[in-house]
Amino acid sequence: MLKDITIGQFFPGNSLLHRLDPRVKIVLTIAFIAAVFVPKTWAGLLLAMAFSVMAVALSRLPFALIWKSIKPILPIVLITALLSVFYVREEGDPLFSWWIITVYKKGIFNAVFLASRIVCLIVGSSLLTYTTEPTTLTDALERLMKPLRLIRVPVHDLAMMMTIALRFIPTLIEETDKIMSAQKARGADLESGNLMQRIRALMPIMIPLFASSFRRAYELATAMECRCYNGGEGRTRMKSYRMAARDYVALVLTAMLIAGMIVLNVFLPNVI
Amino acid sequence: MAILEVRQLNYVYSAGTPYEKAALRDVSFSVEKGDIVGVIGHTGSGKSTLMQQLNGLLTPMSGQVLLDGRDIWENPKKIRDIRFRVGMVFQYPEYQLFEETVRRDIAFGPRNMGLSEEEIERRVRRAATFAGLREELLEVSPFDLSGGQKRRAAIAGVMAMEPEVLVLDEPTAGLDPRGREQLLSRIVRYARENGTTVLLVSHSMEDVAAVADKVLVMNKGEVAMMAPTAEVFSRAEELQAMGLTVPAVTQIFMKLRDSGYAVGENAYTVEQAVRRLLPLIKGGAAGC
Amino acid sequence: MSEAILQAEQVTFEYNSGDAEPVKALCGVELTVTRGSFTALLGHNGCGKSTLAKQFNALLLPTGGRVLVEEMDTADESLIPQIRRTVGMVLQNPDNQLVSTVVEEDVAFGPENLGVEPHEIRIRVDEALKAVGMYDYRHHAAHKLSGGQKQRVAIAGVLAMRPDVLVLDEPTAMLDPSGRKEVMQTVHRLCREHGMTVMLITHYMEEAATADRVVVMEGGKVMLDGTPREVFSRVSTLREAALDVPQATELCYELHKHGIEVATDVLTVEECVDALITLLEAQHGHS
Repeated sequence: MLKDITIGQFFPGNSLLHRLDPRVKIVLTIAFIAAVFVPKTWAGLLLAMAFSVMAVALSRLPFALIWKSIKPILPIVLITALLSVFYVREEGDPLFSWWIITVYKKGIFNAVFLASRIVCLIVGSSLLTYTTEPTTLTDALERLMKPLRLIRVPVHDLAMMMTIALRFIPTLIEETDKIMSAQKARGADLESGNLMQRIRALMPIMIPLFASSFRRAYELATAMECRCYNGGEGRTRMKSYRMAARDYVALVLTAMLIAGMIVLNVFLPNVI
Repeated sequence: MAILEVRQLNYVYSAGTPYEKAALRDVSFSVEKGDIVGVIGHTGSGKSTLMQQLNGLLTPMSGQVLLDGRDIWENPKKIRDIRFRVGMVFQYPEYQLFEETVRRDIAFGPRNMGLSEEEIERRVRRAATFAGLREELLEVSPFDLSGGQKRRAAIAGVMAMEPEVLVLDEPTAGLDPRGREQLLSRIVRYARENGTTVLLVSHSMEDVAAVADKVLVMNKGEVAMMAPTAEVFSRAEELQAMGLTVPAVTQIFMKLRDSGYAVGENAYTVEQAVRRLLPLIKGGAAGC
Repeated sequence: MSEAILQAEQVTFEYNSGDAEPVKALCGVELTVTRGSFTALLGHNGCGKSTLAKQFNALLLPTGGRVLVEEMDTADESLIPQIRRTVGMVLQNPDNQLVSTVVEEDVAFGPENLGVEPHEIRIRVDEALKAVGMYDYRHHAAHKLSGGQKQRVAIAGVLAMRPDVLVLDEPTAMLDPSGRKEVMQTVHRLCREHGMTVMLITHYMEEAATADRVVVMEGGKVMLDGTPREVFSRVSTLREAALDVPQATELCYELHKHGIEVATDVLTVEECVDALITLLEAQHGHS
C-alpha cells in the first residue's frame, strides 16, 4: 500500500551523527561530496572510502540500511563505469583489443574511481537524510541560506513551503489511498487498458485529490492567519542551534580529509 | 437464508514487518437478507477493516467471506463483480465526487458495470430520488452542491449500482441532527423498498438504536456480539466495559434498575422508554 | 466577574455567492460574552453560527453593526494582530490546521509568528502542551496522532499565543466519541482552571448542555439564549430549529405530554433518574 512508503527516510537515533548541528551536517555533506572528486591516487580514494565507513559506523545505523540505499542505483553505477572503460583512449599498448572494443589500463582505473565516487556520494547524502529529521533539515537549510535574502531569494517562503509539503505528504498519501478504495468500490478499473485508457482511469482519483488539496490549502491558510502568520518578517524561532565541540571536531576532520587528499595528489603518482 | 457469511476470518496489517498488528481475529458471523445491521465498536476495533473485506478491497489472510453462499475470492479476476453486488460507501464519501455533473457522477458505478444507457439513466433517476436529490440538481457540478447534498449524491452513486448488500461507514458523520435523521430515514426506505441488506457502521448509538434490526459489536478485532438490537442494548454493562457509550435512555433504565425498580429490560429509544414507563407511573406496582 | 470580553452589536453579514442577491448570513446579532464564561453556540448547518464565530477574531468583518473584542473594534485594521492574539481560534478539521510535522514545533508556530523570544517560546510551548495533556507527545509526528490528540495539539497551538478567549468552531464534528470526550474535557479544564473564556460552536446537544450558557442561532439571528436548563426545556422551539434535545430531557418532555407531572427542565441522566424515582415512589406510596 502507498501508506508504507517512508518519505524523508529519517531513522531516529541518538548517535554522534544524529546529534551534530544540522547546519554543520549540511555543510559537511556538501564538502564531502566535493571531496570525493578530489583524489587521483589510490591512497586518496581509500581515504574517502575509509571516511565513509567511519561515518556510517558513527551513525550507528545498520550497514544493511546503507546497502539498501545503494542497491537501486547500483545497475546505473555499473553501466556508467563500464561505458567509461571503453571510452578512455590512451597512448601506449591497450590491455586487450577485440573487434571495436579496446580496453586500456587507465580505462579500468577510471571506472573503479567513478564507481567508488558515486557510492561514496550516495552514502554521504543518505547519511544526512537518515540522521536528520526532514523538518530540521529544512530549518537548517533556511538558516544557512539566510544571506541569500540579500539578493532577494525568498528563503523563508521556500522553507515554509517545504515544511508544509513535508507535513502534508503523509496526509495526502493516506487520502489517495482512501479515494482509490472508494473508486474501486464503484468499479473503477485502474489496472487494465492501454495508455490513454489508463490516464483516463486516473481522473476519478486525481480530480477528488486536487479538490481536496485545494480545500485543505484554504483551511490551512485560514488557520495560519488565525495564528498570526505574516510571512518571515519579525518572526522568531523556538529552536536555536549552538555549535558544540563535536561540531568543530567534525569540521576539522573533514577539512583534514580534503587536505590529505590534495597532499596525496601532489606527492603520489596520479593514476587517473 | 444468509446473504453474507463471514467464516473464521483473520487479517493482519503490515504482515512480516515489526509493525505487524492483528486487525481481525477469527471473525465469524452471518447476515440475513434484508436485515439492517448496525456495526459498532471503538476506533481500532477492526470494524472498518472488516467492512473492506466484505467487498474484496482487502484480502483475508485466512477464512472466507461468502456472498449468497459462494466465496467472493472463488475467482479473483471477477472481484469487480463482487464490488457491484456489495456496495460500499466510505466515510465522508463526498470527497470522491469528480464528474462534471451530478448525473454523470452517479452514473459512474453503473457505467463501470457495462449497463445500457437506458438502464443507467433509469438507475440514476431512481438513486437520486431515494437520496432526495431534485431533478435539476442532476445537471449541476457536484462541487457546487451544499455539504449535505454532496453527501447524498455520493451515496446515490453507490445506490445506483443496486447492490444486494450496502455497506455504509459513518454515513451521518458531521451532519447536523436534522441532516442525520433525514439521511438515515432515506437509507432505511431504500433498503426496505429494494430488499437491500444494509450494514451501517456508526459511532452513534442513537442512530443504531433508531434503525438497526441487529447489531454487530466489534471489540479488539473480534466479534463481541451479534444479536437483535434489543438484546445487544440489554447487555449495556458489557458495552460500557468495551468503552462504548449506550443511549442515555438505556443508561436511565440501568440506573432505575440498580435502584431497585422493576422497569423491565433496557429501552434504547425515547419512544420505547415512554411506553415502558407510562404504565409504571400511572398505575401498577413498580417498587421493590 | 461580569466584564464583557466579546460584544456583537447588531451585527449583519452579507456575502456574494455568485448569484445576484447577496446572501444574508447574519441579520442583526446582539450578543455579549463575559470574561471567564463558557458559552455554547448551537444551531443547524447554515444557521450562521460559524460566520458569527469568525467575526470574533476578524477573519470576517461585519457588513453592518460592529464587533468589539476587549473594547477593540474589529473594523480597525491596525488592531487585528492584537485581536487575533486575544481571541484564539480552533477549527473543525484537525488535519488542516497543523502546520509542522513535529508536535512541539507546531505549537511553537503561533508564538514564533508573534516574535516571542526563543526561551520564552519554549516555556509557553511546554505549558500549553501540559495544559492539554499532550506534553509526552511533544516529539511525535503530528499526522500519526488520533483525531482527538491532533485537536488537542491544535488547542495547544492557540494557547501558546496566550489568548484570553478560545473560540472553537465545531472542534468535535470529525472526531469519534472518545476524541470528543478528550477535547471536551480539555476545554472545560481550561475554562475552570485557567480562567479561559470559551465559546464552543457545536451541534451536539450533549456538549452544549455542559456549558454555562447556550445561545441558539437560527436564520442568522439569536433565537434562544439562556442557561442549558432554560434553553433545553423549550423542546418544541428547538425542534422547529432542526435541533435535538438531550434524550433525558426528551424523555421527561414526552412523559409530560402524556399528562405526567414531571419536571421538564432536566438535563442529565442523573437528574432524569431522580425525577423518575420521585414519581415512582409517589406511585408506590399511593398503592
